[in-house]
Parts: sequence; structure tokens; C-alpha cells
Amino acid sequence: MRNPVWLVIVLLAGVAISLVGLLLGMWWLTFPAGLLIGVAIAPARLAVPTGALAGLLGWMLPLAADQARYGIGPAASSLAAIMGFTGQAAIPVILTCLVGLMLGLTGAWLASAARLLLMPATR
Amino acid sequence: MTLDPAIEAKAPKDEVKASDRPVVATGTSKRPRRWLPAINALAALLVSAAVLYVSFFGAGSALPALGPTFNPTTGAWTMAADATNPVNQTLTITGLEQPVRVTFEQDGTAHVVAQTDRDLFVAVGYVHARFRLFQMDLMRRQGEGRLSEVVGKAALDSDRFELQLGLLRTAQKEWSQADDVAKIALNAYASGVNDRIEEAKRLHQLPVMFTLLGYEPQPWTPIDTLIIKGDMTQTLNFTDTPLVMALLNQSLGPDLTSSWFPVLPPNAQSPYDPGPYPSQPAVAPIAAMRAVTGSEAATAAALHDRLAALPPGLLATGGASNNWAVAGAKSVSGGALMAGDPHLHLTLPSIWFQLTEDSPDYHTSGVSIPGTPVVLIGHNQHISWSLTDAQNQQTFFYEEKEDSAHPGQYFWKGAWTDYITVNYDIPVLGGPTEHLSVKLSVHGPVIGERGLTTSVWWAGNIPSQDFSVLMRIGQASDYTGFREALRDWRSPTHNFVYADDGGNIGLIAAGYFPLVVGGQPWLPMPGTGEYDVVGTVPYDDIPQVFNPPSNIVWSANQRQVGPAYPYYIGTASNFFDPGYRANEIRSVLSQDRKLSTADMMALQTDTRDFLASEITPLLVEALTNDQISSPEQQARDLLAGWDFRMETASAAASIWWTFWQAYLAETFDTYWKSRNVSVDRSEVNEALGQDLEAWTLHDQSNPTFSKGGAARTAGDVMRVAFHTAFSQLKGKLGSDPASWTWGRVHSRELENLAQVDGLSYGPRADRGDANTPLAAGGDPSTHGPSWRMVVDWGTHTFSGIYPGGQSENPASSWYENRVDTWWNGLYAPMLSAEQAGFAPGAATWSMQP
Repeated sequence: MRNPVWLVIVLLAGVAISLVGLLLGMWWLTFPAGLLIGVAIAPARLAVPTGALAGLLGWMLPLAADQARYGIGPAASSLAAIMGFTGQAAIPVILTCLVGLMLGLTGAWLASAARLLLMPATR
Repeated sequence: MTLDPAIEAKAPKDEVKASDRPVVATGTSKRPRRWLPAINALAALLVSAAVLYVSFFGAGSALPALGPTFNPTTGAWTMAADATNPVNQTLTITGLEQPVRVTFEQDGTAHVVAQTDRDLFVAVGYVHARFRLFQMDLMRRQGEGRLSEVVGKAALDSDRFELQLGLLRTAQKEWSQADDVAKIALNAYASGVNDRIEEAKRLHQLPVMFTLLGYEPQPWTPIDTLIIKGDMTQTLNFTDTPLVMALLNQSLGPDLTSSWFPVLPPNAQSPYDPGPYPSQPAVAPIAAMRAVTGSEAATAAALHDRLAALPPGLLATGGASNNWAVAGAKSVSGGALMAGDPHLHLTLPSIWFQLTEDSPDYHTSGVSIPGTPVVLIGHNQHISWSLTDAQNQQTFFYEEKEDSAHPGQYFWKGAWTDYITVNYDIPVLGGPTEHLSVKLSVHGPVIGERGLTTSVWWAGNIPSQDFSVLMRIGQASDYTGFREALRDWRSPTHNFVYADDGGNIGLIAAGYFPLVVGGQPWLPMPGTGEYDVVGTVPYDDIPQVFNPPSNIVWSANQRQVGPAYPYYIGTASNFFDPGYRANEIRSVLSQDRKLSTADMMALQTDTRDFLASEITPLLVEALTNDQISSPEQQARDLLAGWDFRMETASAAASIWWTFWQAYLAETFDTYWKSRNVSVDRSEVNEALGQDLEAWTLHDQSNPTFSKGGAARTAGDVMRVAFHTAFSQLKGKLGSDPASWTWGRVHSRELENLAQVDGLSYGPRADRGDANTPLAAGGDPSTHGPSWRMVVDWGTHTFSGIYPGGQSENPASSWYENRVDTWWNGLYAPMLSAEQAGFAPGAATWSMQP
């Protein structure tokens, strides 16, 4: 499936699921969102980056919103200090994005791999 | 990472279907490898499992659960939204009965105005929890022995000890004995805290440390508030000095111990209650020091080691607070002046939260401790008060007599008596629940069973209705009301300074002054009944003074009374401060002129070292005829021209302080080494310093100065110590004595309460030392003036400042916004609620039921 429109729709759906999950405290929904992307998109080389992008955007957009509303600099600095990285405020930002990215990526990868294994005809 | 090696293989772009196949060139065959999809799926499964595991559970103690922690909308990032300062808004607080208004000044000071007394405390609970919930939870967990539940087995020793000592049992007793007024206040306060806890959970606004530690706060109860009071009592009044004395006695012998660590201080003191005293004889006879047995010493050593291993703050290690008042007759304004600066562990967030409380029956302004509903230090419309630790002996150790023929019993007053046993379960994060049985004798809990079974009598275990007292103080309008309110105060014993709008001043050491039947209370005593605590010094006989002829009163943890006082209240050995701050304060206040608010402020930041002012001239004199080098001469000249102020730019300050440490070492270390003293000398430096001061001033040939059979005088030892100090400073700071400024060797740090170094303030070069009114002992100094308040009843001006900020959120602009003002010795006006409403930048919460 390489229809760009479909790709975008699936991507946005993944981002939306991820966002709703985060808002409800169900952060792990990013992973099922990745799974859905892995199911909805073939081949894997498209599904996996899409899943990663959905996870990344899902976790980055609320941060961006916080930045616009409150400014996350002091919070990032404080979190970095708590983590033992005083003065390196970028670390918690990167880590947050990485968590979202990895959840989406692994979800999509797992689904793609499972599809490849169970339904070789759909490769 | 190769996500799908089969698919990522080398198929041409135009062969779409082929590209999707798991084809790998082997060099010998183009056939697809059928097992690659399985490996791919397995790899995906393993990586997914790893990512999900770390996201759900973290990785040990180094990495928190990443998912909930970094969830941008409900995790740690919510501290960004939480860091925003209050704006005008309406809040719904279910615990309220009537609307309440809370106005915040630009610096975070809160002004709570309620239509009922109950609503006042509901709102204060909500406000405290809004800004200090994690701090409150940490403090109650510490006292209740439940830290292990959230931080794991690292806190188990602390939890075991706290449950043994009994803060929880005492809080439960206090609650059962509380009067209706206190019960209403504590219940209302808990309701307000719980309103905020529920709101924070609902809105995902719990403080970040809850998220990082992975737990949510339990509902607040009145017992929690009483536990926090217990925490403060413990940190101020629970001491191990009798154990230290036993170890000194065993190694130095009873004669040297009684000589060097006497009951009455050997140096000049400034008691605020000089007498006359009640005429009845002392209840506790002052006996000669007896020799401690080997088993007693071994027991004391084991318990001393156990207490030494506890986290800081569980054991009182000497106080340092100041307060004083000047009567209207001696003030420029014509009204009474009052100043108070309690010295505590300086933390971020601070122990204090500044607010005003207004309701039909309460109009108080000052600082409160988060977790408690009332103003502890402050003023109302007519009176003001502050406090210092009284430092009288509050902890007594008893060796219980046991026998294998009487298991579970101890011998007391001629009979075998059953221990009472209390059982506790301590939940431990990541481990099995710990079971703890605590044995209670008539003296108190058993806290040591290595060697002799040792129980402890601690005044902090006497139920004390402090909140009732503080509420009555808040309503008092004169000294009679103030003094009567304090009649029910038991612990911690404090010197309460007083001033009012009628020009009156007073000072009273309210609290429990234990009377021991006999024996030697400065050592662990037999628990067989002959040496029990039998009561307290009668209220009319405790140290106190009201409107003295001198028109001044002062306290700085010194012994409050002179040698003629008929009751035993503790020894000079670290129960009481050596008295240098008190002497300096009295000296300044005694000037033959009228004093102003500016004088009060200057005295609170006074860096003049009274001990240095006594000893330095003698040192300079001793060096006059000594063969010293040119740089040493330069150092001597610096001392000769010094004003005895421990300022950061002063090189003489560094020379003095280093000299004094070397002087102590040169005088006493020989004994410490030859007698194999197990107590670190620094633990008793204050007591030894008093001896050294007295000998240097009045007994320069004291035999203690002798070394290796050679007679030495104080002058001889001072010269040796000076050369030692010079060498030490030269090695550390270079060869130019003028560059050895105090700021290079002395700093101060405000430590983050959760012990996150990156969220602490400093270390930063700072003035003062352990003996100056601006107390700054240690390097870096982590204790000091935790709140400075100055009151002028003549002009009705109230000023205060504490180092820190109102919010515990490190991302908030109110986290450390007051530090610079405090550091620079400046103050902020303490506004009334009405004044605050017109202050620039003020914001108001309208709280609705």
C-alpha cells in the first residue's frame, strides 16, 4: 500500500490515538497505534517509519503546546537536574520524543513482522 | 538496527513484489530464506518487549518508568503548567462552607481571608498542598516510618528507628487528647489538603516527584499534621549526648570528663533570666561523675553508632537560633521592637511557607510549616512572637535490668514488669514487607539491644497540644494571655520571645524541663526506678522574664539561667550553645542609646565573632616576641587590625578560624590519641572550645596544655597553632596572607529537600561562622537563619524574609525567588491581606464551596 493519502490518513489516525492516550494517562496507546499502522500499511519499510513518526508527533505535539503556553525551559532544566544532567535541558526533551518514537516504531514493526510471518501473501 | 532484513535486501526499485519478499543473496542461491521472517518477528517481539518494559517499569533505580514519567500531558512535564503563578480565578473547594479569598503577592506570600475559622484552615490546607504537597508527604512519611514504601530498603533504618522512637504513637495519643478547637482546625486543614490531592490527581497535576517515584499521595489526616510537629521536635530535641558522655567517660576517665564537660559552663554567659530564682533546693542532686563500666561503654558505643548512621535531621546536633526584643522605652519609635531568626537546615523548598490568616477569631501573619494549619512565628494585631530552641536536656537513656529467667520483662521498682510490645509492618518498595516489634518500658521505647537493653525517655513522646497553644497565642492580646497559652506547651521546649503594641517585652522558655529523681542524667542511667523522670520544673519556675529593667531580652540557645538556678536542666556539653552569639547580641542591645528597626536588621546579619574578639588580642600578644617569618608577620598584622567580623573579604577571618581549629587540635588531640577516644573530637568541639576559651582568658597554665611531660602555657600552644594554621592556609590558598579571604574557604548551600544536587542553591561564598549572630557553621554551611523577622510596634511595620520560595516546583519562579534578598540581608514588608490586595502584581483566588 503506497497510496500517499492512505499513508497520511493512517499517520494522522496513529497520532490521534497516541494523543488521546496521552491525555487520558494511557500513554501506552502509542504502541497499539503503531500496531494499527503496521497492520494498515505495507510494506514494512513504509509502516515502520510511519509508526515511528506517529509516535514522535504524538508525544512532541503536547510538548510543543506546553512550550507555547508555559515555556518548558525551566521544567526541562529541572528534569535534567533530577536525572543527574544539570544544565543539559535538551536531554528530557529528547528522551520524551524518543519514548514516543520507540513505542510507535516497535508497534509498527511488530505488526509488520507478524503480518509477514502469518500472511506471506500480503507481503 | 535492521528492521526487516529480508525486505531491506537488494531488490531493484521497479520490482515491487520482489522487493517485498525476504530475499537474500547468498552467493550460491537466490532462494528466499524462509526463516528470516521468523527471526524478524522474534526481533520485533524482543525489542517491543524491551521498550514496553522500560516504559512501564523503568530500569532499576536509575531509570524511572519512562512512559508515565515522560507522558507530556500527565507525567513530569506537567510541572511546566504547575510552575505558572496564580492568576485571578474562581476555584471550587468542596470542603468549604463559605466563600474564601486568597490573595497572592508577587513574591508568592499568601493571604487567606475566610468568613469562618473552620474555612480558614480548609483554605490554608488547600494552599499548602497546592505549593508543597510532596514536601508534606515526605515529612509525614519520615515520621510515620513509611519512607521505604516509596524509596526502597535504603530508608529502612530510618523507618525502623522512627517507629521505635514513637512519633506515630505520640501523634495518635495527641489526637485522642486534643480539644474540640484543635480537632476542628486539624480536620478542616486535612479536608483542604485532600481537596487539593483529589484535584491534582484528577487534573494530573501532582508534583513531579510523585511521578518520578511512581506513587500517589494517600489522603491527609490530622495524625499526619501531628507527625510533622513530631518531626520538628525530634530534629530539635532528640539528642545522643549521654551516650557521647559515656564514651568520653570510658576513654578519658571520669575526672577529665567531669572537668572538661561540666554541668555548668566554664565560660562567661549571658543568661536572660538572671534570677532571683525559687529558693527550694535542687530536686536532682548534682553527683560526682562516676566511672562508666565496660559493658555500659560497649552498649553506648553500639547505640551511638546506630544513631550516627541515621539520615541527617533525625538527631539534634546543636541549635543556632536568635531572638530578642527591645522595650518601647529603649526604641527610637517608642514602641517595642522584636526580632527573630530561627536557624534550621536550609532547604529548597524551605521549611517555611509565609502567609496571613484572617477569620473571625484569627488575624495572624508570619510563617507556617507546610502540613500544619497555624502560624508558628509571626504576629497578630497586638502581639508578636518568635522562638529559639531551649536546648535543655530532653533525652535520657535507661539501661533496663533483664534476666533470662524473666523473658519479656524488666526489673523496675522492685518487681519484674512486662514490656509492652507494639507491632508494625513496614512496606518496602521492591522487597518484602518488614515486620517490626517495638518493646516499651516505663521509660520509653527500647532502641538498643546490643549489650545492655537501652530504652529512651524523650520529651517528644509526651503528648503536647502545640496547635491548641498556637491558636491561643494567635488570639492573645497581651502577655498574660500569651503566657497562659504557653502553659500547656510541652515540647519541643522553646524560648518564646514576646513584644506587644503596649511597649512590653518578655521571654519564656516554655515546655518540659524534666526533673530526675537522682543519679547522673548526663550519662545512661539504670532503669530500675531510682533515677526516673518524675515531672517537670513548675511553670512559675521555668526561665522567664517580663519587662526587665534593662529593657532588653535575648536568647540564642544559651543557658537561660545563672549558676544559682536550683534545678538541673542540662550540661554545658552540647545541650546548650557556648553562648558567643548570646554574648554578642546582649552586647549590641546593651548600648547606651535607643535602637531602631535598622539596628535589629543589622544585628541579624552581624558577623562579629565574640570568641574571636576575646582570643585574638591574646594571640597577637603571644606572637609579639615570637620568631616569625615576614609572611607570618603579615598574617599577625592582619589579625591585629581586624574588627572580628567574619566577612567574605576578610583574610583575618580565615586566619582566625584556621587558628582556632589548630588551637583545639594542638590542645586536645594528644589526649584523644593517647586515650583512644572513640568519639570524633569535632562532636564535642563546642564544649572543648568553652574550656579552651576559659583557660586562655583565666588559666593560661592549665595542665591540659602540657604535652609529653613538658609544661606549656596557653601562649606556647597558641604559637604552635598559629604556625600550623599559617602552613595550612599557605598550602591551600597560596603564599600571600592578604589573599586568604574568608570567602575562599567558607561557603553556604541551600540543599534540595529531595537531595537532588542540581536543584540546590550554591555552594556560594558567604560570611559568618558558627559563633556569629549570622550563623553559618560548617563548610559549606547548610544551617542558618531560616526566617528573619523584625517587628516595630511603634511604627506598626513588620518585615520578614526566608531563603527559598513559596513553591516546591523547581520550574516555578517562586522556587528560589527570595534567596538573593535574604542573602543580601534585605527584607520584604509583611503586608496585611488588605494591603496585599492593592500590591502590584497581586492575584486572587475566589474559593467557592
